[in-house]
Amino acid sequence: MSRKILIVDDEEVIRKFLRIHLTKLGYEVKEAADGEQAIEQIGRDDFDLLICDILMPRKDGWEVIKEVKSDPKTKDMPVIVLTAKNEDTDMFKGYDLGANYYMTKPFTKAQLLYGLQLMLGKA
Amino acid sequence: MEEEDRKKIILMLRWTAIIVTSYLMLFGRGRVTNLHLSYLLILIYLLSNVSLSFFPKTWFSNLKLFYPLVLFDTGIVSFGMYLSEKMTTDFYIVFFLIIIFASVSRNFKLLMVIGGITALLYGGLLYSWGLLTKEEGSSYTLRIPFIFIMTAFYGYIVQTLTREKRQELTISEDKYRGLFENANEGIILLKNPQYQIVDVNREMEKVTGYIKGELIQKDVFSLFPPEEMEKAIDYFKEVAEIGEGRTDSLSFMKKDGLSMEVDLSTKRIDLGDESFYQTIFRDLTEQRKLEKKIRQSKRNLEAIFDGIRDQLSIQAPDYRILRVNRAVVEKYQTTFEKLINQKCYEAYFKRSQPCEKCPVSVTIETKQPATSTMKGPEENTTLQVFSYPILDEKGNVLSAIEYVQDITEEQRLQEQLIQSEKLAGIGILASGVAHEINNPLSGIIGMAEIALEEEDATKSESYLKDILNCAQRISGIVNALRSYSRAAKKEELSLVDLNEVLEESLKMVRLANKKAPVEVIKRFQPIEKIEANTGEIQQVFTNLVTNAFQAMDGKGGELVLSTQPLKDSIEVKVSDQGMGIPQKYLNRIFDPFYTTKKPGEGTGLGLNIVYRIVTKYEGTIDVESKEQVGTTFTIKFPTRRVES
Repeated sequence: MSRKILIVDDEEVIRKFLRIHLTKLGYEVKEAADGEQAIEQIGRDDFDLLICDILMPRKDGWEVIKEVKSDPKTKDMPVIVLTAKNEDTDMFKGYDLGANYYMTKPFTKAQLLYGLQLMLGKA
Repeated sequence: MEEEDRKKIILMLRWTAIIVTSYLMLFGRGRVTNLHLSYLLILIYLLSNVSLSFFPKTWFSNLKLFYPLVLFDTGIVSFGMYLSEKMTTDFYIVFFLIIIFASVSRNFKLLMVIGGITALLYGGLLYSWGLLTKEEGSSYTLRIPFIFIMTAFYGYIVQTLTREKRQELTISEDKYRGLFENANEGIILLKNPQYQIVDVNREMEKVTGYIKGELIQKDVFSLFPPEEMEKAIDYFKEVAEIGEGRTDSLSFMKKDGLSMEVDLSTKRIDLGDESFYQTIFRDLTEQRKLEKKIRQSKRNLEAIFDGIRDQLSIQAPDYRILRVNRAVVEKYQTTFEKLINQKCYEAYFKRSQPCEKCPVSVTIETKQPATSTMKGPEENTTLQVFSYPILDEKGNVLSAIEYVQDITEEQRLQEQLIQSEKLAGIGILASGVAHEINNPLSGIIGMAEIALEEEDATKSESYLKDILNCAQRISGIVNALRSYSRAAKKEELSLVDLNEVLEESLKMVRLANKKAPVEVIKRFQPIEKIEANTGEIQQVFTNLVTNAFQAMDGKGGELVLSTQPLKDSIEVKVSDQGMGIPQKYLNRIFDPFYTTKKPGEGTGLGLNIVYRIVTKYEGTIDVESKEQVGTTFTIKFPTRRVES
């Protein structure tokens, strides 16, 4: 069974190329355009990995990570933060909240693959 | 006695005397030898009485008229008797003179006694000469009661006159006594010319500590301390010469031996037949103390005035300089004397008429303090000129204090501060905008990588379209940034449309906070342009709008931006539904370096700069805030700004 990844980003184009990449790599990909949608999907489905943007309407990425990491059911799910917030303080905040990998935009495919490997092992 | 009566009686009596004298001269037994002369005499007598009847009544109560009249009458009667060549028999003239002189004594009883004795003596003399039994006997006999009647009459008149005089004197003496005793100043009465004290008033006793008995009969000079004696003698010598004199340089010795400075005012007065010096003493101790205090406080004020390092001058309503402090003299490298009475605008500003923004003219007109920022006389200098009114007791402006502060350096620093805060603000904005660029940039990179791997041409075409979209978004952002920074760089004054600048600032802040769940409501009304520096106005709006966005961070809400024209100003409101500002911080939010934001999010200068810029344009800024409800900033820019 292929592993399931949830991509949360309000930028459609980013979701699009992530989906293309990950699908090619053999993952099953689901998408959410904001934090609320993400929480909803996580509640419905089990995911092996969460790739989450920070600056989003309605519910931001920080909230999503907080909720995921405080729920015993989902707290072991690895989280990759994918954000334009590239300051040190943001990165520290992400790790403090329990994120497993912090990636800043813009990023390369190589960075993404490295992160995936780190989180999920060889595909 | 009424003056009317006195005149009547005198005239009537003289008529009687004239008739009797004339009858005796013309028809008496011993006839007058020289008839022509006696007619002349009668004529003079008649005329004198006729002319007397035209004299004003008041003259008849005057002894100065009365005595010559008596002498005149006596002269005529005596002359008549002389003409009758019966001097031996008319010896009674001597007695008559005795009575006249007796009347001068003003003692009625004495006069009557003398009159009686004289009449008796005369009768006795006539009798011893045997004249009473001769054929002219009756005419002689009649003279005896005549003497007595005349005595009584003159005596009566003199007495009433003197009584009235005495009454007047008593009244004026009572008045004098009242003034003397109740005077608020010490008064000494000295006998002339001995300078011996004859009386002192109660105040004098109080002031000197002496009692009246100790002072009476004393030499006035003994009241002065020995070293002042010579001066005191000189003073009284002068008084004796001129009749009055005043000095405030003498000291007086009190009973307790202490000396006090006094003001002496002396006048010679005549009371009855005696002459006195009346010396008024005024204790100057309090006055001297007060004078000393005034002098000291004047010195203090002068020291303060000169000690202030900013330029101060006091000016008359016509801008004439009345006083300047040392700072002015040093600044203009001149002297006090050269500046005094020059016009302010001529002396300081080298102008031929008052400066347009002169606060002194405002103060003179409104009686209120005023201030104004003016270009200094030297190039590129800026002065802050304050003026305060000096009012008289009625509240009219006597003069104005002009206080000049050179704020060139301060203004330069302020400009620098505004500039550096602007840069910091742009930095914060830029980092927000950078995030915004990072998203499409990620899209471009990601899509490009996919497109490179894609072999299906139709698919790669769609990827390229995505890339193009992203690139155009970035281009849009960069354009917005450029137009914002172009406005920010503008430094000269121009006519600024506040609606436009507010819109522009909003766009920029929105860009930097794209994800913020803020709904912006714009209520812009048509407003007139104001003269300002676009960059500064933009800085004001950007700061306020950024604050509003930050206040609603996470929570979201409405941001209402409104502009509206008022009577003399334009009102701009920035109203958010954010967390609000706690009441206790409200009065500190415009202080420099005061911030509740986390490091990196704000400099603590934003609102301070907003305040500086708004006040620079003579505008006002107010804030209203309620925690958890929101904050509203209200700015008013005046529409009519006078330019120097």
